[in-house]
Amino acid sequence: MSYDTLVVGAGLAGLTAALRLAERGQRVLVAARGVGATHLAPATVDVLGYLGDARVDSPARSLAALLASAPDHPYRHVPAERMTTALEWFAERAGTLGYSGNLDANMLLPTAVGVPKPSALAPQTMTGGDLRDGGRFAFVGFKGFKDFHPALIADNLGRARLPAPITARAIELEPPASRIGDLSGRVLAGRFDHGELTDWLGGALMDRIDADERIGVPAVLGLRKAVETWRDLESRLGRKVFEVATLPPSVPGIRLYEAMAAALRDGGVRIVHGVRVSGAHANNRRIETVDVVNATGSVSYPVQAVVLASGGFASGGLELDSFGTTRETVFDLPVIGVQSTDRVRFAPRYFDAQPLAGAGVATDDLLRPIDTAGDPVYANLYAAGAIIGGAVPWREKSGTGISIVTGYAAAEAILTPTTLAATEAVR
Amino acid sequence: MNDAIRDSLDHCVKCTICETFCPVSQATPLFPGPKYAGPQAERYRGAGPSPDSSVDYCSGCGICTQVCPQDVKIAEINSRARAKLWERRGIPIRNQLIARPTVIGRMGAPVAPLANWALHNRAVRSVVQSVIGIHRDAPMPSFAGKTFQSRARLHRGPTSDAPAVVYFHGCGTNYYEPRVGEMVVAVLEHNGFRVIIPPQDCCGLPLQSNGNFRTARTYVRRLAGNLAPHARAGLPIVANSTSCGLMLKREAHEILGVDDADLEVVSGAMFDLCEFLLRLHEQGKLRTDFRSLPLTVPYHAPCQQRGHGIGKPALDLLALVPDLHMIELDVDCCGIAGTYGLKKEKYEISMAVGERLFTDIAATGSDLAACDSETCRWQIAHGAGVTAVHPIELLYRAYGLDGMLQPGPVTAGRQPTTVGA
Amino acid sequence: MDRLDTLSAMATHNPSMSSLEADVLVIGGGSTGAGVAWDAALRGFSTILVERRDLADGTTGRFHGLLHSGGRYAVKDPSAARECIAENRVLRVTAADCIEDTGGLFVSTPWDDPDYADQFLEGCMATGVPAEEIPIGEGLRREPRVNPDIRRAFLVPDASLDPWKLVWGCARSAEEHGARILPYHRVLDLEVDGDRVVGARVRSEHGEEFRIHATVVINAAGAWAGQIAELAHCKVNVRAGMGLMIAMNHRLVHMCVNRCKRPADGDILLPLRTACVIGTTDVFVPDPDQTEIRQEDIDLLLDEGEKLVPGFRQARALHAWAGVRPLFEDTDKVAETRDVTRSHALLDHSSREGVAGFVTITGGKTTTFRLMAEAAVDAACLQLGGHRVCRTAEVPLVGSENHVPYRIGSRLAEREPVPQAEEIICECELITRARLEDTIRQRDTTSLDDIRRLLRLGMGPCQGGFCMYRVAGILHAGGSVDHLGANRALLDFLEERWKGLHPILHGDQLRQARLDDWIYQGILDVEHLPA
Repeated sequence: MSYDTLVVGAGLAGLTAALRLAERGQRVLVAARGVGATHLAPATVDVLGYLGDARVDSPARSLAALLASAPDHPYRHVPAERMTTALEWFAERAGTLGYSGNLDANMLLPTAVGVPKPSALAPQTMTGGDLRDGGRFAFVGFKGFKDFHPALIADNLGRARLPAPITARAIELEPPASRIGDLSGRVLAGRFDHGELTDWLGGALMDRIDADERIGVPAVLGLRKAVETWRDLESRLGRKVFEVATLPPSVPGIRLYEAMAAALRDGGVRIVHGVRVSGAHANNRRIETVDVVNATGSVSYPVQAVVLASGGFASGGLELDSFGTTRETVFDLPVIGVQSTDRVRFAPRYFDAQPLAGAGVATDDLLRPIDTAGDPVYANLYAAGAIIGGAVPWREKSGTGISIVTGYAAAEAILTPTTLAATEAVR
Repeated sequence: MNDAIRDSLDHCVKCTICETFCPVSQATPLFPGPKYAGPQAERYRGAGPSPDSSVDYCSGCGICTQVCPQDVKIAEINSRARAKLWERRGIPIRNQLIARPTVIGRMGAPVAPLANWALHNRAVRSVVQSVIGIHRDAPMPSFAGKTFQSRARLHRGPTSDAPAVVYFHGCGTNYYEPRVGEMVVAVLEHNGFRVIIPPQDCCGLPLQSNGNFRTARTYVRRLAGNLAPHARAGLPIVANSTSCGLMLKREAHEILGVDDADLEVVSGAMFDLCEFLLRLHEQGKLRTDFRSLPLTVPYHAPCQQRGHGIGKPALDLLALVPDLHMIELDVDCCGIAGTYGLKKEKYEISMAVGERLFTDIAATGSDLAACDSETCRWQIAHGAGVTAVHPIELLYRAYGLDGMLQPGPVTAGRQPTTVGA
Repeated sequence: MDRLDTLSAMATHNPSMSSLEADVLVIGGGSTGAGVAWDAALRGFSTILVERRDLADGTTGRFHGLLHSGGRYAVKDPSAARECIAENRVLRVTAADCIEDTGGLFVSTPWDDPDYADQFLEGCMATGVPAEEIPIGEGLRREPRVNPDIRRAFLVPDASLDPWKLVWGCARSAEEHGARILPYHRVLDLEVDGDRVVGARVRSEHGEEFRIHATVVINAAGAWAGQIAELAHCKVNVRAGMGLMIAMNHRLVHMCVNRCKRPADGDILLPLRTACVIGTTDVFVPDPDQTEIRQEDIDLLLDEGEKLVPGFRQARALHAWAGVRPLFEDTDKVAETRDVTRSHALLDHSSREGVAGFVTITGGKTTTFRLMAEAAVDAACLQLGGHRVCRTAEVPLVGSENHVPYRIGSRLAEREPVPQAEEIICECELITRARLEDTIRQRDTTSLDDIRRLLRLGMGPCQGGFCMYRVAGILHAGGSVDHLGANRALLDFLEERWKGLHPILHGDQLRQARLDDWIYQGILDVEHLPA
């Protein structure tokens, strides 16, 4: 089977690129070792939250300063207008999840320890938690669900640095038991989908909440029926209800994945999990076939283009061996952000700047990985997401933003390379 | 103990992705989830038997390994732990029995009408449930009477200078669905192949999933011995049962640790049936003289089909048939997991696992569904009340090989189970 | 460890009380000190133990857990070998719950002097250490990961000892016999009256200072014994030998595997509960509190590991840590040539320096802790009115009364048949919420580090990636700390764990660490917590 584009990796960057390509008529195969970080990350779109220690109010207005301080940053290759287009496109594709927000102003959404975290876009089940306008909040915990601690959230938020004052308190509820066992977010979400918990939650909260209070619940309101359940709760309670993201598994992330996977299926994209892309064969620096290792052995797929969206160290897209060598694990591409000496010495304090934080591939403005001379390693290989070096996304809160805009931009580069070259000025 | 499987636990970073996909742990608290039972518990397993009996509730669907982004061989770790558990406890009669479809098949085939009556008689099934432990509602197939092997002996194929392909039909086709086997042969012959059907027996997969590794190895070695000469002669081997094909492609080596030269050469020559036909198409050698087949059919890719890592060739093939609209279902597991759903203590779990699939099939409004694995088809027929066919049947009809001028009612290789008949 | 037992609480109840009295004051809460407290209490002496930090925070808590059969010393140090095998047998009875009977294997690799193996066998025979040569095939069958090129293999009765269980077992047993165990009490000074030590001045973690008067002070401060002895103007020449260890994510071996060679660096790989540990090195450090891990030592251990287990460098390293062993060199007593450096030394300062009421027990190894304690308490008896019989070789520790050894699968078996019937807070180590909350209550501590040590919370593969948030939330919800305390506990934990992580961060563990970064910083944004 031959494909127009083979996408390596089924995380947000890979799925974004695949979807954009498919809707423009390409035949796409997504080959992945497994499922990506969609299932772990909170499903907000974090474009830029921090510039050093300074919280970013407006990603749009901070981009220039970001690129000045981090010249290799992936955003360098995606002009602001394209970033906006990518985010708008994403929000539309995410459909009923109802993403809103833009680059001009970050929302401040509470994390599960009670820190206001900047996000550019969020799904409608979460935007009610925007702390910027102040007000009164009640956070709800479920006995038996160990991954959410409303009292800690409320106490910390009360002391947080916020543009407008808030008050926050905690409510602990005990869900009706339906089975013995440790409650996981995924199981709770299943129960909400089955309709087992909405009545209970609505009833239990009705008597306990005050006027003008916004209600924060852990992000477990369901998978297939989350939005309906959320709307139902809001209308019963007559208050804003919002989900707060917590430890993995990320139920909102799973929703996002399912929405994108459904769109991909409709677009005829084939997603294959449990395989490993082991290399490529090229002619004149143009990849012609990609080798994929599956149950028996290797299959070679003829392709026109490849998007490498294999992630960083956490996903196995990059690897550091015990001798101190960093490798890009799929195509053995040159890597930036690594030390030249053969020993990696991490800084002794955890929160200090650490080596390898910005490791990854360097790319040209078409998002093609480049070699040390600055030339694309392959004319038709593109990179998207955390495999691109030059950023410390967990620190600056830019992970999902980088995934979406570079995934989109890589697809655009494949679709219209000449147009792209003409419109992009060197910055 | 093969170290590569156990050592893969080192890759586990506790991300919980496997847990979000595990259909069994969603359905019951008796199984703590693949992360727990696999890489996490494995660190607590010393040289002796596994101290956690809950690992027996793992159905072996293999989804966890497929979705793990870190290459942890979760399902394989579970499989081994389960085998160790049963090695210590002793495998119960029931598991010994259902693990040997050829034994049941040989017993049942000659007395098929009586056996079938008994299998679908509620009273008999209740007794079977209490005595042996097979749930009385579990979907059991009907014996075909004449096995596929015996029918194949009477078949006259094309001349001997046609290119040859070897057919590994598996127990399901042989004892319960010989019609499917006939369709496979017809489609292959239609495409100019001479089909070789060597003597063959069970691949040992049900023995493996019931923890009897030693006997499973014997079975798979015997089967590999039957198929190897053909593989060495450079012939491809096709399997219509995706789980049996996967057993020979990978699981016999990875889980059972079988390292024989025969298995290796067979494994390298093994193709899933749709995979093989799609390759033919890529080479421009597949006949595409399809008639119109105006149907809307939901397709479920069995867990073990996805374990091949070949995409969904059935869908790519059926896309060539005019007016045929296949709906790709996105549900992971039908619940039967081979022999898992037959067991009385696991039947309810298995039906809970499959519930979403049954609902989604019903939502399509079709009274037909396509699926590559026979045990899954029986579960789907039972749980969704539709007729479940192997994708090859749709190709067979689209080629007009059924001899009918117009598309008529589709008959699967078996009748759906009706309990209480 | 009831809150009422700490002196601070007593002071609150009775403000005029500023001293405690006892027959015996033990300084040092490692295996030696805890063993002394146990022995003294069992003999009916009123006993107080003080430890500047948490029990077993020094050498004992940082060693690899090998319960020696004596094989390691059979050639070089026969008397140590004899002591080891004798104590090995005793502890299997009295401290059964702390011991996993893994067995031990000595193997000759291609890098090891082949003659040593015969010397080893002879030495074992001479010292009474049971050593049985087995065919190489059988050795490899038992330990399939071991280098297939080994030349010879021997079975010995090594075992794996849980040092925390041991020390806490001794402490609890001592308490049952009336002793007071006071962790987080630092000795500021020894009180000397003329030519005798009469007690010590201590400060608790809450800042309260008070005196402890004791007839005999036993200095069991291990690598810090010299510092304590100085307070009485006595000289104890203890050198600190830093030893590095690396814990590997899962049991590459199920037995204690030793290189059959003259003892040197990196020649032991042994299981320690769910992990296995490669050790160790021996580097002199001037200050036992300053132990910086050197990269060359990490590499040495990884290389030695690779010799024992091919593929070691690809296996996942969990974390690295250094302990300091107390090496005693008696430069003042030239005649006492039998004081070999790894053997223990009993120093009765009344005969050495004319300072009565002060005894130091130092050197040694955890395997022989009971013997060391016996020697110390025997010496103390001389100044306490006459000899009393030691019974620690017969009386089992609290928790070991049924003499059933620890089994690695026990935590897993405990969770059956419905593994997640209770909330499991630390999944790697299978710690339930009930157990955690009990421990927080009992220990009366809010230091996540203490809880971590006791329960091994956050010591599994994810190194606290998931559980620490849960624990901070539980601490806060239970009222033990306010939110700032919970934040501090979380942030301190992240720093503390980093110390053991960053020296060995590569491969799978780097992946894990990066995922944890995503969780703590990317999802929770902990670096912006108020603290």
